[in-house]
Amino acid sequence: MSTIAAEPRPVGGHGDGGPGLAFFSGYHRLDGRIGVRNYLLVLSTVALTNRWAELAVKDHEAAVALTGDFLRGLRGKDRALQEDVLAKLALHPNVGAVLVMCFDRFSAERWADRLSDCGRPATVLAFMAQKGMGGALERARTALLELDGRRREALRAPAPLSALTLALECGGSDATSAICANPGIGRFVEILIAAGGAAIISETAEFIGAEDVVRERAVSSEVAERILACIAAADQRTAEDGERYRGVNPTRENIEAGLTTLVEKSMGAVCKIGGLAIDGCLDYAERPSGNGLYFMDTPFFSPLSLTGMAAAGAQVTLFALGVFNPSGNPIVPTIKVCGNAGTLETWADSIDVSLSGLVDRTMTLDEAQEKIAAKVASVASGSLSRAEYWGEGQVIIPKTTAMI
Amino acid sequence: MTSMGAEIRQGVGRAHLTMHPGDNVTTLLDSRHEITVLADGGPVAKGILFGHKAALAAIAKGADILKYNVIIGRATRDIEVGEHVHVHNCR
Repeated sequence: MSTIAAEPRPVGGHGDGGPGLAFFSGYHRLDGRIGVRNYLLVLSTVALTNRWAELAVKDHEAAVALTGDFLRGLRGKDRALQEDVLAKLALHPNVGAVLVMCFDRFSAERWADRLSDCGRPATVLAFMAQKGMGGALERARTALLELDGRRREALRAPAPLSALTLALECGGSDATSAICANPGIGRFVEILIAAGGAAIISETAEFIGAEDVVRERAVSSEVAERILACIAAADQRTAEDGERYRGVNPTRENIEAGLTTLVEKSMGAVCKIGGLAIDGCLDYAERPSGNGLYFMDTPFFSPLSLTGMAAAGAQVTLFALGVFNPSGNPIVPTIKVCGNAGTLETWADSIDVSLSGLVDRTMTLDEAQEKIAAKVASVASGSLSRAEYWGEGQVIIPKTTAMI
Repeated sequence: MTSMGAEIRQGVGRAHLTMHPGDNVTTLLDSRHEITVLADGGPVAKGILFGHKAALAAIAKGADILKYNVIIGRATRDIEVGEHVHVHNCR
């Protein structure tokens, strides 16, 4: 491990921030990926062990509990997806050490196998192998102390922009989303991709109506066909359930903010890819194969899409806002970008980057890009984003099959 | 497709942005609700909120609503020039 960078050097504009230059300061993992955080993660693999996890992190300041409605008794694709997503989160580059909490010995053995060569400190415990709740907590505390010591051996070191995979998300879309936050993010992502980095866009239903953009921007007709098939499937699902889609998407907040139809909302959302080509189509939680901009097939509510992009290895999220949205992810710092002056005033303590100058033309798109780049560099190097400060976000994994 | 080629109109009338020259709606970008003229001179109804749309021309029931040069919906009744275009008259 080399020395710690004193200050990150943000990119100055086009052509800067090439693969060799330090952009941020991160944790270089054995698998070659670079984390922007060094979390001591307590992963409760099933809802039954959530309380154990919550109590275990209570008296350990550094530990982050990841608890969800993770279930036993899932079937088929849902079971496989839950296992896959949780394993990918346990081994996320932002995780420095992980305590995996299982219910029974059998699942603990499976997890121990899975993590045997994971290249970072990991301990797996089975709840049913403990003696009483007090004993279970004592065992977890001991494990956390040991993991924390090993986690702290990792130090930050200079890292290039190319090491970043960004999740791109929007929430609370309004008219400014299409002229401020999304285009500003798009301009920064152009520079990120040119430098060798990667970015993921998602929320398949928000591409309904933007099919022509997909055809125009997909790097090949094969990629276009795959994405269009995802969009068509989402479109069909919304038609099949018999529920009127209006009022669901666009949401009530979108409609109050002036967006009338899903197509109108989609056209604004797609601005966050700038002038870039879409290089690939990913399944939910699938890791990008390399540099470039990727589309991921996800549901459109942000906790689910953010979980998919986090599992795919995104280290930071850029979140475009019109009206406010308290989204985030427990292990992926989320940077809130907004161009609506009213929202910026009301939610001043919860938004990271103001681009309202794009509305009254006191700011150029390049200046917007530079503001975003500087914030990404500082958050990637350790400063807390507002969403992190408030602890916003949760992990929610989509399910397709009825429970038994 | 991106809106950044489009010019935001500002001046005595209400600030607004037309995403594409072929569009028949424009997006209002200020909160001076009492003003009934757009910055480029066209008429606009009173009270249209920031971020909402106004018709740049009369739009007949059933006709396309164009923004970004894309059909974002259809008029569900006749819309007058300057009128608010939203869920009450566009689907």
